Order: sequence, then C-alpha cells, then structure tokens
Amino acid sequence: MRNWGQSLAIIGLTGAGLTLWLGFMWAPSVSIDAFKAPEAQRIFYWHVPSAWAAMISFTTLFIGSVVWFFKRSEWAWRMHVASTEAGLATGMMAVWSGCIWGAAEWGVPWDWTDVRLNTFAILTLLSLYLVLGRKSQPDGIETRDTFSAFGMYGFILVPVTYIATRLWQIRHPGPVVATSEGSLNSDMGIVLLVGGISFSILVIGHIISGMRLTKLQMQFEELQAKYEGAVK
Amino acid sequence: MNDVTYLAVAYLGMVAGIAVWTWTVFARSKSLEEKIRSLEKAITNDESE
Repeated sequence: MRNWGQSLAIIGLTGAGLTLWLGFMWAPSVSIDAFKAPEAQRIFYWHVPSAWAAMISFTTLFIGSVVWFFKRSEWAWRMHVASTEAGLATGMMAVWSGCIWGAAEWGVPWDWTDVRLNTFAILTLLSLYLVLGRKSQPDGIETRDTFSAFGMYGFILVPVTYIATRLWQIRHPGPVVATSEGSLNSDMGIVLLVGGISFSILVIGHIISGMRLTKLQMQFEELQAKYEGAVK
Repeated sequence: MNDVTYLAVAYLGMVAGIAVWTWTVFARSKSLEEKIRSLEKAITNDESE
C-alpha cells in the first residue's frame, strides 16, 4: 500500500488536467439560446466529477463507519478518517463551482428551496464537522463511536441527493446521463466520462493515501511513547 | 461579471482546492515518515548504549 495511493492520486490529477484541457479546447460550446451564461457551462466538466468523487467518499465513509462500529477494525477507522477529508475537499469543490455557476446562470449562487443543493451541502458540512471534531477530541473508542454514528446516519442523505433532481427538480438541472431524457452531446459526454474516471481514481488514491497517513500517525505516536518510556 | 470571468473564478478555486488538498496529504505523509525514521534511529541508539 506504500505508494499506491500517491500513484493513483497523481494519475487522477493528470486525468483531471486532461479533462480541463478537453473541456476548454475540444468540447463544443452550448447553444447561446439555451443558456444565459454559455461559457460558464464549462464549469460542469469538473463540477459533476467532483460531486461524483464526493459521493464515493461519503460511501466509503459509511463503509468505514459501519465496519468500525460493529467490528472495531482499525483499517475501517482509517477509512472513516480518510473519507471525511476526501469528502470535505471534493464536496467543497462541487459546492464552490456550483455556486459560481448558479451566480452566472441563475443570477443567484444558492437556492434554499432546492433539495439537491441543500442535501449535498449538509453532507459536505457533515464532513467538515467530522474533520474538525476529530481534531478537537482525544482519540478513543467513545470518540470513534460518536463520529462513526454520524458517518452512518449521514449516509441517508446520499441516495436522497442522488434522486433529488429526479423527484423534485426545482433549480438544479436534472440528470443528463444515465437517463432516457439525456440530452448530452456525445463529445461533451466523452469529456465528462474522462472527468468522472479521473476524479474517481483521484479520490480513491487520496483515500488510500489518507488511510496510510493515519497509520503513520498512529505508528509515530506509539514510537514516541516507547521513546519517552525508554528515556525515563 | 461576464460568464468567462465566472468560469475562470470557478476553476481557479477548484485548482487551488485540489492543489492544497494533495500537497497537504503528501507533505504530512513525508513529514511523518521522516519523524518515524529519526525516532527509530534514536530508539536503536538508546538500546545499543
């Protein structure tokens, strides 16, 4: 597992760079009649993959939380920790880019009545809470159980977020892929696919790196205790 | 602002986010590896003395 995570993250970053280049240089422009801000539509080539990567993170957060809670497995706790950081980073990217696109296209960065926007924001805030909360609490079984419970119950919002635009399309656009109503140009679809694959590799690489980081942190603390014991 | 400016601001923010996130994870990992190496060395030296 030593350099796997970092290698995958670098491959993912390269793919994300390629997506950006294709999105700017190769993907066709959208109709100026269909969009108020047609150039800003290109935000979508990183916005959708980063939201997808956040969903992967929230899913691995759920898996890590459940396995820690019921099996007390160290790798599961490491997965929980790494997934909260990955979910926060990718969730923030999706929220940021969505707000900017909303400001350009809708004239407002946020709509408090839109289910998709709000459930996704709550998931990102949950990651923020878990990252900050863990840093302010001493590590222990009770702390891990508390944060794992949040990781488990928070996952309820993942399927709700996924189906939100299918059930209640208020402001956020509906699905453009994996649907019979899909209206995405095939070249745009290819760029989006490259982005989706790249961000998936990136976030998996980051989660593996984050799990290794937590392992190193624990190893360091054990060695430090051993060294201090030897010095005394 | 025109829509190209919105596009630039969105991508600058995301590129900065992805860079900070990746750099933080890689740098923390490297720093911990170095600390572990020096602690292991110190423990080995203590044991041999």
